[in-house]
Amino acid sequence: MTIGIIDVGLGNIGSLSGALYSQGWDIELIDSPEKIKQVTHLILPGVGSFSVAMERLERSGLSKAIKFFAQDGMPILGICLGMQLLADKGVEGGLCAGLGLIHGDIRPFGVVQPFRFPHVGWNVMNKQASHPVLSGIKAGADFYFVHGYHFTVRDKSDIVGLTDYSLNFASVIANRNVLGVQFHPEKSQKNGLRLLDNFCNWSGGC
Amino acid sequence: MNNSQNMKRCFRCGLPETYETIEFDSYGVCNICRQQDFKKEVIDWGERKKLFDALIAEYRGKYDYDCIVPFSGGKDSTFTLYYLVKECKLKPLVVQFNHGFMRPNLIENNERTFKALGVDVVSFTPNWKVVKRLMREALIRKGDFCWHCHTGIFSYPMHLAIKFNVPLVLWGEPSSEYTAYYDYRDNEIESVDEVRFNRFVNLGITAEDMKGMIEQDFDLDPRDLLPYTYPPLRDLKKLGYQSLCLGSFIPWDVKSQSRLIMDHLGWKGDEVEGMPPDIYGYEKIECQMQGVRDYLKFLKRGYSRVTQMTALDRRNGLMTQDEAEILINEWEGKKPPSLTLFLEYLDMTESEFNEIVMKLTIPPFKPEFEEIKWGKKTSDFDSWYREQKKL
Amino acid sequence: MLKKRIIPLELLKNDRLVKSCNFSEHRDVGHPIKSSKVYSDQDADELILLNIGDGDLEFDNLVRVVGKLAFECFVPLSAGGGIRKFGDAEKLFEAGADRVVLNSACYSTPLLIKEIADEYGGQSVVVGIDVKFTNGRYLLYSNSGVIETGLTLDDHIKTVINLGAGEILIQSIDRDGMMQGLDLILLTQVLSFSSIPVIIAGGTGSFMDLKSAFDLGVDAVACGSLFNFGDNNPLRAKSFLKNYGIPLKIL
Repeated sequence: MTIGIIDVGLGNIGSLSGALYSQGWDIELIDSPEKIKQVTHLILPGVGSFSVAMERLERSGLSKAIKFFAQDGMPILGICLGMQLLADKGVEGGLCAGLGLIHGDIRPFGVVQPFRFPHVGWNVMNKQASHPVLSGIKAGADFYFVHGYHFTVRDKSDIVGLTDYSLNFASVIANRNVLGVQFHPEKSQKNGLRLLDNFCNWSGGC
Repeated sequence: MNNSQNMKRCFRCGLPETYETIEFDSYGVCNICRQQDFKKEVIDWGERKKLFDALIAEYRGKYDYDCIVPFSGGKDSTFTLYYLVKECKLKPLVVQFNHGFMRPNLIENNERTFKALGVDVVSFTPNWKVVKRLMREALIRKGDFCWHCHTGIFSYPMHLAIKFNVPLVLWGEPSSEYTAYYDYRDNEIESVDEVRFNRFVNLGITAEDMKGMIEQDFDLDPRDLLPYTYPPLRDLKKLGYQSLCLGSFIPWDVKSQSRLIMDHLGWKGDEVEGMPPDIYGYEKIECQMQGVRDYLKFLKRGYSRVTQMTALDRRNGLMTQDEAEILINEWEGKKPPSLTLFLEYLDMTESEFNEIVMKLTIPPFKPEFEEIKWGKKTSDFDSWYREQKKL
Repeated sequence: MLKKRIIPLELLKNDRLVKSCNFSEHRDVGHPIKSSKVYSDQDADELILLNIGDGDLEFDNLVRVVGKLAFECFVPLSAGGGIRKFGDAEKLFEAGADRVVLNSACYSTPLLIKEIADEYGGQSVVVGIDVKFTNGRYLLYSNSGVIETGLTLDDHIKTVINLGAGEILIQSIDRDGMMQGLDLILLTQVLSFSSIPVIIAGGTGSFMDLKSAFDLGVDAVACGSLFNFGDNNPLRAKSFLKNYGIPLKIL
């Protein structure tokens, strides 16, 4: 297996690469569509703005290549902004189309006292459904979040995990071979590493 | 006596609040007791045994050895080796890390065990000069001079797993028997890995940390610390390693297991400084320095080995609080004769030692040095290693 | 509900971690990467890595260490010490830091806070404030406790919040390394002035000290000596705090 990590300058991928490398996985950094052919799994990381990220994915041709990869039933994991890019559309930096791999759209958190935004820190991910990627993770486990926008799904059946912060938002979503996590597994220590390991062992089936 | 009597204690077993990882519930019972309840009442040991049979079937016959068994010669590793050879019919590579303080009875036990079972054994003895310097640094930083032993025992077999290409490493008792770094109630199989190593085995200090701490005044070759360095996870993952405890698959029972190895292997217990010999003669017989170790625990935390042993018996309903307190008052809190050897090895005076320890005590306990009396020597004391006088 | 945090505070000098007493007398406490990994395995919630060497070489060293750390430790990382311009912060983010810690620059070029916050988000900026208690007042110092700035706690905190800072790291120079307890009066004041999260540092000697700070409402406690001298680690600190109902991360 080779794990592909999309790398178009959307933030540092050192921790993510290190997390996979130390667990024994072989990784490939993907900055062009041809490289996707070499991998068995794809991870879409991301920090930053929705519209800037989509613009880079479009320009490099990766947007299309990722969609084909998904159509072929290959496993894809979106992390943080990467999860949000899976949506139909987002509003950060202007209304912008996403990859449309899990239906829904991205909205900012509203102003709700006494909550501070962006949502930063350790918070609970409440499992709503079982999924191979969450195997071995205790109920009530905390993960590390840093985000100001959240994913509103079209189909409630796509929700695998919810987190409560001013509202109950989707922190883990999945549709067939495509998966998204709002938190940063590469910053969430033991459970994050386990999730990444589970993903790399997953073939995309449910 | 010292103010150890003022500490909060588990209602059932008596372990005090200074015991590492201890947490008391609303009934005043500690998590270690609750873990034992779970072990006895909830864990499906039938299922666990099936898992184990499947595990060893995966590895049997496929490598030069079916597994590596790290071995100290104490009751737990002796039982583990016995079980794996006799019950499971595995071909192990026995790996022994010689900490430098092996007692005569232990060496005899080991010879008997290895010859009775018929196993290949690799024994490793690290550089004594390096060991002494490490003991000093660990004592000062953490009040626990056994860093070289903890790290060596857990790292060295992993290096051999990689070198010999033997992915399965089988240990004895799971840590949940004694502490809550890993909890039986999570109903998971404890992995004896680098995370565990960093959580409590190495006292929070890695070999790379130690290097900078000792190289200013000690002539260190960086390779000197390799036996104490955990190998890279990636190498172990590529090997397909699994490092697990036998006690995660069969319920650990120290008393019956000790009896078994005494009967079947002629394994002998021994006197240990500061411990009532008739009752607990099977405990901690491996190391000459055990007495100093227990003494340090007492000075830092106000309790020691006798409290721990009687706690196990109280928890299992084998002893009452009054009986336990009689033993504790008679045996605990005395200065072990091995302290004189320890000070000799480290070229340290007793008052330097006390000064170091005072900085490391864990509230609410505070030791009163003037009140502490000498304990009894063991019968093999005179045969223990003495440093040659410098010319 | 966000959990309270225990944060090992790591000081980097000449490629090693050191611990100080009153911001001087540095003692070797370990290898930056390996020590950080140990803390992470011991359930630390974050790491703060501060460069206390002088000059560009030492800063470049910090960037290099952050890069390696990000590759081997999987826990949020704040890094700082010697950040003077936007490019310095940029290097740290690119190396893998999640946040940067600004201290002296907040006095000399406060707009740097805004520049970084605008680009990376306010949550990526931690403002470090070092104080000494003199003649009944808290005096703010820059350059590792050397230059008295003449500012008050109240004014400075308000300024940095307005410029977009995400968190305050308040450190008592008097208590540093003494292990005699945190300055709770200082903490109370800072909590009253600050509408953003606060991390307190300087003086933790026992787990009870941690509890006292959390009881007052601080978001996080950063510890140096506690975990380096003595048989203590974040795991044990958390066991202790759990017995008192402090909400901590569950793994």
